[in-house]
Amino acid sequence: MQTRGTRTDIYPFAAIAGQSQMKLALILNAILPAIGGVLIRGHKGTAKSTAVRGLAQLLKSQNGDASLTELPLCATEDMVVGAIDMEAAIKEGKKKFQPGLLKRANGGMLYVDEVNLLDDHLVECILDAAETGWNRVEREGLRTSHAARFSLVGSMNPEEGELRPQLLDRFGLSVQVEGETDTALRVELMRRREQFDNNPGEIISGFITESRSMSERIEQARGLAPKVTVPSHLLKFVAEIAEVNNVAGHRADLAIERAARAHAAWCGRDVVVVADIQAVAPMALLHRTREQAPPQIPPSLPPEDSEDNAKDNSQQEKEEQSAPNPPQEENSEASKSGPVDSSDTPDASDEQTTDNDSINPDEKPDNTTAEKEDSPKEEHVFKVGAPFSVKPLVSDTDRHRRTGSGRRSRSRSANKQGRYIKSTSRRQNGDLALDATLRAAAPFQKSRRETMASTMAVHIRESDIREKIRQRRMGNILVFVVDGSGSMGAHKRMVETKAAVLSVLMDAYQKRDQVAVIVFRGRNAVIALPPTSSVELASRMLTDMPIGGRTPLSAGLGRMSDMLTQIHRKNPLSRPIAILLTDGKSNAALGEGPAHLEAIALAGKVAQHHRNVRFIVVDTESPGAIRLRLAQKLASALNASYFEPENLRAKEIVNVIKEIV
Amino acid sequence: MHHQTFIADRPGFPFSAIVGQDKLKMGLFLNVINPTISGLLIRGEKGTAKSTAVRALADILPSIEVVKGCPFQCDPNAQASLCFQCQSRATMGEKLESVKRKVKVVELPLSATEDRVVGTLNMEHALKHGEKKFEPGILAAAHRGILYIDEVNLLDDHVVDVLLDCAAMGVNTVEREGISFSHPAKFTLVGTMNPEEGELRPQLQDRFGLCVQVEGITDPHQRVAIVKRRAAFEADPFGFTKQFEAESVQLSQQIDAAIHNYGDVVADDDILFDIARLAIEAGVDGHRSDIVMLKTAKAVAAFHNRKQVSMDEVAEAASLVLPHRMRRLPFDDVLNMGSKKVG
Ligand SMILES: [Zn+2]
Repeated sequence: MQTRGTRTDIYPFAAIAGQSQMKLALILNAILPAIGGVLIRGHKGTAKSTAVRGLAQLLKSQNGDASLTELPLCATEDMVVGAIDMEAAIKEGKKKFQPGLLKRANGGMLYVDEVNLLDDHLVECILDAAETGWNRVEREGLRTSHAARFSLVGSMNPEEGELRPQLLDRFGLSVQVEGETDTALRVELMRRREQFDNNPGEIISGFITESRSMSERIEQARGLAPKVTVPSHLLKFVAEIAEVNNVAGHRADLAIERAARAHAAWCGRDVVVVADIQAVAPMALLHRTREQAPPQIPPSLPPEDSEDNAKDNSQQEKEEQSAPNPPQEENSEASKSGPVDSSDTPDASDEQTTDNDSINPDEKPDNTTAEKEDSPKEEHVFKVGAPFSVKPLVSDTDRHRRTGSGRRSRSRSANKQGRYIKSTSRRQNGDLALDATLRAAAPFQKSRRETMASTMAVHIRESDIREKIRQRRMGNILVFVVDGSGSMGAHKRMVETKAAVLSVLMDAYQKRDQVAVIVFRGRNAVIALPPTSSVELASRMLTDMPIGGRTPLSAGLGRMSDMLTQIHRKNPLSRPIAILLTDGKSNAALGEGPAHLEAIALAGKVAQHHRNVRFIVVDTESPGAIRLRLAQKLASALNASYFEPENLRAKEIVNVIKEIV
Repeated sequence: MHHQTFIADRPGFPFSAIVGQDKLKMGLFLNVINPTISGLLIRGEKGTAKSTAVRALADILPSIEVVKGCPFQCDPNAQASLCFQCQSRATMGEKLESVKRKVKVVELPLSATEDRVVGTLNMEHALKHGEKKFEPGILAAAHRGILYIDEVNLLDDHVVDVLLDCAAMGVNTVEREGISFSHPAKFTLVGTMNPEEGELRPQLQDRFGLCVQVEGITDPHQRVAIVKRRAAFEADPFGFTKQFEAESVQLSQQIDAAIHNYGDVVADDDILFDIARLAIEAGVDGHRSDIVMLKTAKAVAAFHNRKQVSMDEVAEAASLVLPHRMRRLPFDDVLNMGSKKVG
């Protein structure tokens, strides 16, 4: 078996200037892995992965920790959980388990960069193991299990889409990393980075003293952490924080409590004080508060503690910078290998979904969004109208293979593009999964060798053949074509419309759909948002959309047609959905004729041209006595599903999409 | 791996015969001078001959030392970043034999599957010997070279992920198909795109150190020159290339000298502060642009054989580094039509 590493020089953790929150979260997690991992959210180029790798390197070289195990995005399932050892099976005729990344990570840190882009199935494998501390494997006639205690660190750029709330919740802490805005600090960052790129050894040895004292401090804190106690009134305080911030479930409480203990140990104390809780609570809450945009923290504090705020904060900062040596405590046990909350251990039997090809584990209504509805706190975020729980838009098991395959339809990639995630014995497209085929054939090699004559070392039979299951991350593409003109603003229809759009977006976000927005107003139509998986961007832009001007419906249709052509060119098998939010009025034509007739004629052509696209027209005409129902005409020209203004509840639109998908 | 590189049976169009496109050329030079600037994104409409310059680049690329026979073209002088094989050979006390060869331009076709890009299980070896062996992919071939992607905005999303993973560490980590393997993969990413066909994922965009916007040439004299040179090249590639040989040699020498001088170029504190301020004011994400600007300014100075970075170099660097990183509000277009509201 080839497990081969490439050495590279790693930027020292101690040399990272600024980013104190991120560094603190990583350190706390290293002190007490039971915290349950760290998720680092932040824009590109903010040294997220540099910090993770730097800390792992520090802990390895100074504290003798296991090396960092990195999970690349293109990993296949067998490499993560483990599989039958093909070489041993072929050569020795033995069924041997070849451990995967989860085994390698045992006792150390498992790092997933861009964790929001990792295949769902893999994410679940990892999180299950992280939670139970155990990896159970049942595949290819092999049944085994092994300890998989590791602390999980993930990083992600929210621009690229969110992690599902269920997955977010499983990370103990999370931090939001921003670019530093202090000029002197940036200069220092620049200087060090350039020096590192020119001569890595110089920086590494230049920071050796800092590195040592940091690792010593971590080691001491590790010894101290199990002895740290939390006074009972502070336990109550923790519970209150969770409650005030509306983060139901015990995970937040546990994370705060454990992180506070680690923080106390990091500061050399064996008892938790308010300052510890204040320092860590934001990290435990950031990803658990149920808002689409990152919430504003810190949490509100009980009145009796508020007077300490300023002092505690500054004290903490000082402690961070000067790194005083905490009182020496000897405890060889420490808590290096992640102890796991045993009450969390899920039923092992439902973990071995070896083929969830068509079964969607996400089909249950998403309770986290459901709770949004009755939470008055959310109003300010979605003041555009109440969003609501969206029933999952899951189709019947998709019988048509196509490329665009997100969570929504679970259809798999039919051509050989897309990510190979696992294999199947079902034969469909001749996309041979050689590794899986060999593993399937391996156990029989000894007997076959005796009966078959061949020059090949491996005897493969028809029944061994496995094909690749590939998945493409992109789900469907939803193209919103929105009337941004005065005719909608006048009737406050925009509020309803935006609510509808946001609800669809929230659903799209969880299904990994891509969204694009075209707005027509004034004299033309613009692509306000090119296809993106960042629903955050889409929602932000739709809520801030200005209203006014004339209504160039034809231009909107034209722009939409162009975009659909591009989408088609990029992925000919995609089946985008175009959602038009309009009252059907048009008063700005492209040519000479009447604007309205021109739009209808154009709509007919568009429908002809884009047969792979499903159209939905949401009539935004103000309900009332006199109605023109122009949008209905548009809908029939487009061969679209049509929505009465009376039915303009966002829920209905979602249901229509559900029927289509 | 011959099909990945531009190996032509006749000479390619000489780089020095390309008319105009100074900014594009400069962007390429700077990346050659300091490969850690990490790439050039060339944006432009159809028919602006974006790829001509990249394909011709091979002409003027410098030579590097590689370990003989290593599929990852390890640098024999960089002990810290040797591949597994070279590492163990070096540890055994073996002297790694090195050869000199030109920096390669390796093309990543849009149709490339993820397997092909990262590397995969060697099928023949597996069937014949019942053993797993890693078959290096495009990323292995691109190590220490230029990875060229035409129409990079149309690249499959999963392949983009892989590039990002790889660019972050300069290492390609493979955990798939029963293979667990990693090898160094540091490359200069050069991509072309027509923005009309869709934007690039911001994260990938950020990985391109520099970006140039290529416009069609409007000057009639230049246009005539382009057509004439093209025709002359088609008629007699060898003769034409010979005509430009002196210029090509001179350009190569200038670049070699710049590579040599780069280490001596200094940037004062004032300059560093100006760079940081520029980046902060531009509102770019993260800190990558600062360091890229510094390196680019130094490379500009080195190219002009200057020892000191001045604001001129910083300005030139900023124009290549900042525009594609400015946080582009997706609704800017909309806002331009109406009230400015979003902060
Ligand atoms: Zn090598």
